[in-house]
Amino acid sequence: MTENSLVSVIDPREFSVRTWIGLVGLVLLGLAPFWMGFLYGGNQDLLMLRTVIAALFFGMFAMSWDAVSGYTGQISFGHALFFAVGGYGSALLNLGFGVPPVLAIVAGIVLAAVAGLLIGIPALRLEGPYLSLVTLVAPIILMRFFVFKSDVFGGELGLSSPDPILPTSGFAQATYVYYFVAFAAFVLVLVVLLAVTRSDAGAVFTAIREDEDAVAASGLNPAKFKIFAFVLSAAVGGFAGAVFVHTTGKPTPSQLLVQTVSIEVIIAAVVGGMGTIVGAAVGGIFLSLFRNQLSDVHATLPGLGIDVGSLDLFLFAFVTLLLLFYLPGGFLRWGIRQGRRAIGADGAAADGGKTPVEQVRESFRDAFGGDRDE
Amino acid sequence: MNAVMISALYALVAIGFTLIFGVGGVLNLAHGASITIGAYAAYYVTSAFGLNVWFGAIGALVVPAAFSALLYAGVIRYVEDDPITVMIMTLVTSIAIEELVKVQFGTQSLAVPSLVSGQFHVLGGIQVNRVLVFALSWVLIGLLFAVVNYTRTGKAILATSMTAKGAALVGIESDRMYLYTWILAGAFAGLAGLFLASLRTADPVMGRTPLVLSFSIVVLGGIGSIRGSVIGAYIIGFLETFTQSYGSSSLTGLASLVVLVLILLVKPEGLFGREFTE
Repeated sequence: MTENSLVSVIDPREFSVRTWIGLVGLVLLGLAPFWMGFLYGGNQDLLMLRTVIAALFFGMFAMSWDAVSGYTGQISFGHALFFAVGGYGSALLNLGFGVPPVLAIVAGIVLAAVAGLLIGIPALRLEGPYLSLVTLVAPIILMRFFVFKSDVFGGELGLSSPDPILPTSGFAQATYVYYFVAFAAFVLVLVVLLAVTRSDAGAVFTAIREDEDAVAASGLNPAKFKIFAFVLSAAVGGFAGAVFVHTTGKPTPSQLLVQTVSIEVIIAAVVGGMGTIVGAAVGGIFLSLFRNQLSDVHATLPGLGIDVGSLDLFLFAFVTLLLLFYLPGGFLRWGIRQGRRAIGADGAAADGGKTPVEQVRESFRDAFGGDRDE
Repeated sequence: MNAVMISALYALVAIGFTLIFGVGGVLNLAHGASITIGAYAAYYVTSAFGLNVWFGAIGALVVPAAFSALLYAGVIRYVEDDPITVMIMTLVTSIAIEELVKVQFGTQSLAVPSLVSGQFHVLGGIQVNRVLVFALSWVLIGLLFAVVNYTRTGKAILATSMTAKGAALVGIESDRMYLYTWILAGAFAGLAGLFLASLRTADPVMGRTPLVLSFSIVVLGGIGSIRGSVIGAYIIGFLETFTQSYGSSSLTGLASLVVLVLILLVKPEGLFGREFTE
């Protein structure tokens, strides 16, 4: 890592081309309510805006996954657990005890961070598929518990919507307010996670993914950093879940807890670019919008008589397979490489040019005694 | 009595799951989909062609085995060095299968006829069907045990599970062994699906609960161990039945998952685990 002072990091004159592209994209996204009206007439733009709000939250979920799994290589298959703990915790406090939404969100973050600690500690002992199993069943356990205590948690149907984060009147006003709340939360999550992962702690996260023994050998405690990554990621996920239920979302299992949510988050981050935060954010937004568009397609497949819209998950899976095959580094890395080549700044990669997916693959092989390497 | 029978079924499912993990080193999360496919194949054969349920059983054997083989040869073979991609892909595949079944057959529960009708007049009457399912499950488990331990192919599979490199040195094609295990696992899961459907009903997400139970069973028994799976299945099966009859039916699955997490934390190699090293 090169030594960067804070001043040089935030000095606009030092920004690279891709930073500018990212910033412009972010500003355009933030101004979406103003230009979307021109693209879609009538009330269509409001509905579209709601879709983008959902996409922003999904981007936050994907970023929170990336912070722990993309960076430290501790793959979590049940990140929905944290979204649900944050969302349900906040909603229950608000519905049951009349806690104002902002305070309830803070409590949701704390609860999710505790959940992160509960998952992070076992993660120290387990590796590879064993860790994946624990993270995979954790949300299932929570779901079963919610069903068992249906009178408190609403079971399969979930809870009713808690109070909105800001008082609004009418659909249009609510949409605009929620959009800016969601966007602000998105930027906050992005900035926090970028700051952490670009700091020395982030360098240690990456080092853990690449070689945990080397980290320990250089006198750093990998356990401490893994726990930190889990708690940070859980807190961010809980924050996103909590804000979600106080804006457009609802504290229901189908939106926050089911397995599909966890998997879609992984797919989004991997497709966008694992271990980059920005890639996860972009991947999350695009996948959410893509799936939404796909489920609106009402064409019928010739010969089979099956609606394309009902196959959206299936098609989505197929596209993911292709991307995992051909672009294991995700779209972001591919884009940066193409960009660098275009401006003639293609340098040697510091990590030997391995993608995180490949690194995780190697550490999994180690977990199996390194027996199956070619 | 119920627990004894349902445990045999769980063992049938868990054995396939543990075979794939023990030999190939990957978690096949589409194993639940094989169960669903088996049940619906039997349903389709019996209802659409009006054939005897025993033809349905052939369908429940062949179709999931073919699905499993296709999944391995078409997709997993190329990504098997990357267990995460395998987990993602098999999980997504199982969701895709659930979606397809929903679109094709609807979400309602469907009845598959019993293999045999009638009742035994002992212990207050037991359906012959249940006894048959139980007996068949044990016959299958016994057969598998014999095949793995006493035939050349079985021994080759076993060798591959111990060390793929060593097996390759003595001329065993590991790819083919992996394919065999996937076919076996698919067939076993398919039959388990038929049995489950004939005891209860078939629905698109019927594979989920047995799959999740398999996690617990396999980890409890020791990953890769057939004997461990059978014993694990009985422990989990009794635990499940016990919590259901003395606790609450909404507790289904909770106890076994808690056991799973505890085992992973305390004794990750399970009861009969062979090679887990930290």
